Amino acid sequence: MKNCYLGVDIGSISTKGVIIDEDNNVITSSYIWTEGNPVHAVKKLLNILKEKLPNNYQLKGIGTTGSARKLIGLMLKANIVKNEITAHAIGTLNFYPNIRTILEIGGQDSKIILIKNGIITNYAMNTLCAAGTGSFLSSQAKRLGVKVEEFGDYALKSKNPVKIAARCTVFAESDLVHKAGVGYLKEDIIAGLCKSVVLNYLNNIGKGKKIIGPIIFQGGVSKNKGVVKYFKEVLKEDIIVDPNGHLMGAIGIAILAKRNKTGHNYSLEINNLKFVTKAFECNKCPNVCEILKIYRNDELVDSWGSKCGKY
Amino acid sequence: MTKVGIPRSLFYYYYGPLWQDFFDGLKIPYVVSPNTNQEIVNNGLALANDEMCLSLKNYLGHIDYLKDKCDLILIPRISNFKKNNQTCSNFWAIYDIVKNLFPIKLLHYNIDLDKKDTLKKGLYKIGKELNKNKWQIKKAYKYAIIKEKKRVKKNHIISLNKLKSTKTKVLIVGHPYNIYDEMIGKDILKYLNKNNVELIYSDKFNPQITAPLSKKISKDLYFKYSKENLGSIVYSAKNINGIIFISSFPCAPDSIANELAMRKIDIPYLNLVIDDSSSFTGLETRLESFLDMLGGKLND
Repeated sequence: MKNCYLGVDIGSISTKGVIIDEDNNVITSSYIWTEGNPVHAVKKLLNILKEKLPNNYQLKGIGTTGSARKLIGLMLKANIVKNEITAHAIGTLNFYPNIRTILEIGGQDSKIILIKNGIITNYAMNTLCAAGTGSFLSSQAKRLGVKVEEFGDYALKSKNPVKIAARCTVFAESDLVHKAGVGYLKEDIIAGLCKSVVLNYLNNIGKGKKIIGPIIFQGGVSKNKGVVKYFKEVLKEDIIVDPNGHLMGAIGIAILAKRNKTGHNYSLEINNLKFVTKAFECNKCPNVCEILKIYRNDELVDSWGSKCGKY
Repeated sequence: MTKVGIPRSLFYYYYGPLWQDFFDGLKIPYVVSPNTNQEIVNNGLALANDEMCLSLKNYLGHIDYLKDKCDLILIPRISNFKKNNQTCSNFWAIYDIVKNLFPIKLLHYNIDLDKKDTLKKGLYKIGKELNKNKWQIKKAYKYAIIKEKKRVKKNHIISLNKLKSTKTKVLIVGHPYNIYDEMIGKDILKYLNKNNVELIYSDKFNPQITAPLSKKISKDLYFKYSKENLGSIVYSAKNINGIIFISSFPCAPDSIANELAMRKIDIPYLNLVIDDSSSFTGLETRLESFLDMLGGKLND
């Protein structure tokens, strides 16, 4: 029996899972939509991974990352739960030890990580505004009647991208309506959108940061060739896009699960698990905290959200 | 006897202890509003217009809480500490805003050093309005000022000792009314303390030492409190591992100070802007990764 480790990255839009061996090689991986239900998505994910995993492997550790990391961490009894920034950096450094800058645009967040000699020296993440992320592109795709997966091909066809306000999704959308109204070509509008994502990113997350090559671009939006093209154009540097780029967070957290020696024997069989979250408002003080109670097979495993620590 | 109400917000975090000592000296009863809670935030939101920053909205919530619990509410108008030492324009306006919003009596003084309106003059004016004689006021003022000076000195020494700590040291930069507010910065501080980080606060240094140092970052800055914030960064830069800048949305002076610090200081830096709808989940992701970065946990 050989040891293997599972990393699960549950994002706002997609859920990613990988299983790695002792040498950090990916044995199998899967990428599915979260569809607003992380618990269900993870069950589906594990079923896919279970079928793909060869019989001679024993699961020795589980790590979770992404926005639903805490919940899924409890559900899978993960031995490590970590934020996506750390996970992404570790995953990327495993394949590209010399990387200096990681650009990442996901479904609802975007981040930049600066690395020197294999150590993170600085990073930034969007705070109050999610303009220019994957959700923005998919909502515009729906408006234009184009599949978001085809955005890149359309953008590459354009010779004359339109100018679209890069600050805010709402303003960008009204720009878009206007440009479509005066008869611009679809590919020019899509190219303009891709460019606005790049400019928005560099003006928000990237401001004041020294972006030095080698640069790698990750997250769901990195699959969009148009955005990659404009990053190259604006930064005047080569941009690496790894075919496994969307899995870096999951790989990173799997590596961390391996390093963290507290793991034990796990099973991928969780179909019969009952995992429920119940929410209520506590009215015992003026703060009116929203309390979440997490039940695993009808047993209370954790509760979150109270300011005073009563729950 | 007249009872004075002190809102635990904005100016309280600069002058609160001094005011309390002063009123103690005058034997005037006072009531301080409680720590900000969700109800105060909601009441403030209902009263405020949407251009106001979160801290100012909360301030209105505190006034709302105090309005029927005292006879007078203390609201100074703090405009400047001589040339190039301005405060936020909201600090000039808050007295008039409250006067227009609430039908309550206010206790008020100006700090406007350009017009020679000093703190001393202000506190004497208050004392007079509370029907105290010159001698009583003089005694109370002296008592309050001496204690305040001792406090500043003590805080500075504590901060210097913290800079020598062997733990991971993070400088918390921001306005004290944001850092220590229960609904703005408190959760951040709690999280960091739980993770065994030594916290050094920008406002706990002696401002007379830190403020002039801000010239190394910018010579043109004219906000007094931003100068103190940036000065504290310069002052402690060599002895800290990281900086967390906490501000409330949408603070104008902070937006400048933050940009300057981010570009000119070469230390791991995290900016957190807090809004009334911010949930701690998002903040936790940022704080956790920031601590991972400082701890260098990535290269084992």
